[in-house]
Amino acid sequence: MDNHSPAISLTAAHKSFGKLAAVTDIGVTIGPGETVALLGPNGAGKTTTINMMLGLVRPDRGRAELFGATPARAIEAGRVGTVLQDTMYLPNATVRDFVELGRALYPKSSTTAEILALAGLTDRANTRLDKLSGGEAKRARFAFALAGDPDLLVLDEPTSAMDVAARQAFWAAMHRYADRGRTVLFATHYLDEADDFADRVIVIAAGRVVADGPTAVIKEQAIGRTLAFDLLGESVDGLDRLPGVRATSVRGERVRLDTTDADATVIALVRSGRRFANLEIASAGLEEAFLALTATDSAPSQRPTDVPTTAGASR
Amino acid sequence: MFAYLRFELRRMIREPRILVFTVLMPVASYVVFTGFGNMTDEVNGLSIAATIMVGIAGYGAIIGVLSLGSAVSVERTQGWLRQLRVTPLRPRAVVAVKAFTSTLIAIPSIIAVGIAGYVEHHIHLTLARWLLILVVMWVGTVPFALLGLAIGYALPPNVASPASFVLFFSLSVLGGLLVPTVVFPSAMQRLAHALPSNRYAELGWRAATGHPPTTVGMAVLAGWTVLFAVLAAIAYRRSAATR
Repeated sequence: MDNHSPAISLTAAHKSFGKLAAVTDIGVTIGPGETVALLGPNGAGKTTTINMMLGLVRPDRGRAELFGATPARAIEAGRVGTVLQDTMYLPNATVRDFVELGRALYPKSSTTAEILALAGLTDRANTRLDKLSGGEAKRARFAFALAGDPDLLVLDEPTSAMDVAARQAFWAAMHRYADRGRTVLFATHYLDEADDFADRVIVIAAGRVVADGPTAVIKEQAIGRTLAFDLLGESVDGLDRLPGVRATSVRGERVRLDTTDADATVIALVRSGRRFANLEIASAGLEEAFLALTATDSAPSQRPTDVPTTAGASR
Repeated sequence: MFAYLRFELRRMIREPRILVFTVLMPVASYVVFTGFGNMTDEVNGLSIAATIMVGIAGYGAIIGVLSLGSAVSVERTQGWLRQLRVTPLRPRAVVAVKAFTSTLIAIPSIIAVGIAGYVEHHIHLTLARWLLILVVMWVGTVPFALLGLAIGYALPPNVASPASFVLFFSLSVLGGLLVPTVVFPSAMQRLAHALPSNRYAELGWRAATGHPPTTVGMAVLAGWTVLFAVLAAIAYRRSAATR
C-alpha cells in the first residue's frame, strides 16, 4: 500500500450472477483527490462495480485494488470510508454512539463535534438512529463513514430516499469533506448530482463503461435534443450525416434524430432542401441519453476495446 | 474491539424489554412451580425448592442468550454486519463480541430467580456458593450463545426467532429445568442427561451443594459447545462469503 498508487484500480473486472452478466470487463482507475460520479440507470451494474472495488464481491475475472493493495488490506488499514446501499436498521444506538464507534474503529479520526457539524447532525447527536428521518439516517451513515478521516470515501447512491432539502444538505456536507482534497467515488442515477459535485463522470450502462471523462464533456454529450418530423416519402439516407446527429430511428412515416446540437442540425436540415413536416424539438431525458450512449456501443463487435470513451478515460 | 464491545453493551442496556422474558417470566414460573407440594424434600442433597430455583434460573438464562444470539439475523439482513466489514474491525472480533454480550443477559435472570428462592423458600447458602452458582451458570451459557449465533447467521429473522424459541422450549422441558428429571421415566432421563440444558443446570446444582462439576457432565457440555461452535462458524462463513 502506498501513496503513489491510484486510490481505486479495477482492471478488466467481470462478474456474472448465474447466467446474468452484471458487469462486463470494466476497467476504472481513480487517482488520489479525484471526485468521481458513477452514473447509470438502475440495474446498470453500479452496485456490483462498487462491491467489487470494496472486496464485498469477488470478480469472476479481473482485479480490484485500493491504494495498490487488496481491498481488504486497505480497509483494514483504515483508509476507506463507505456508505453502502442497505437501509441498515440499527436500534438502540444514538447518532453520537454511532459516530464515536466509527472514530474508535479507525486509526486516525476527527473529533465527534467536528464530524457531527460536517454531517449537519449536531442537534441530533442524542437521537436514536431508528428515530431519524430517511435523509438524516443517510447523513448519520455518512458521518460514520468519515469519522475515521479516510483517504477514500465510497458512497452507493447516498441520496436515495432523500427529499430535495435533505439532498442539498447532504451535498453541502460532501463539499465540506471533499474540499480537504480527499478521493470520493459515488454512484448515482441523477445527472444533476454528478454535474454539481463530481469533476469526472463514469457512465455505466448494461454492465459496461460507456463514457468516462470530465463532467462538462459528459454533460454536453448526454444532454442532447431530439428532433422529430414526418418524412413525407423522402428517404432517411443522409440524415445521420447531418451535424450533431448521433442516432436516427424511424417509426412509420416519422423519423427521430438524436442530436447534440439541435440548432446546427435544423439549419442543415433546412438547407438540404428536403421536404419535412410537423417538426418537433424536445430535450432528451437522462434515460434517452443513456440509451443514446449505449446505442453507439452496440456496434457489430462487442469487444471491450470498441467501447468509445471520451477524453480523460485513461488519466 | 473494546469500542465495539462498549457500543453493543450500550445498545443492550437500552433494550430493557428483554427482561420480561429473562427476569419476569422466570420469577413468575418459579413462584408458580414451587407454590405447592413439599419443597423441602431433597434431590441429590439439594431441596426441591433450590433444585427448581437453579433449573428456572437456567431456563431464563437460556431464552435470553438464545434470543440475543439469534437476533444477529436482523443485523445481518439489514446490512449492519456488512457495514462493519468495510471498517478496520476484524470479523472475528464482531463474532466474539456478539457471543460475549449475549451471555451477559443470563446474569439478571440468575440473580432474580436466586432472590425469589431466598425470599420465598428461605434458601440459605453461603455467599461463596451463591457467587459460585452465578459464575458457573453464566459461563455455562457459552454453548447457547454459539447456538444462537449459528441460528442468526444461518436463518432469516422471520425463521430465526421461532426456531430459537422452539429450541429453548424443548431444551428446557426435556432437560429437566422446570421439573426435576427424577420424576421422568428412565428413557427420558437418559435423553435429558445427554442434553446441554441438563448438564448446564447440573453445574448450578453441583455448585449449590459445594460439589465440583461431574466429568461426564463437563464432557457432554464440551461436546455440545464444540458442535455449536462449528455450526456457528460454518453459518458465519456462508453468510459472509464474498459472492
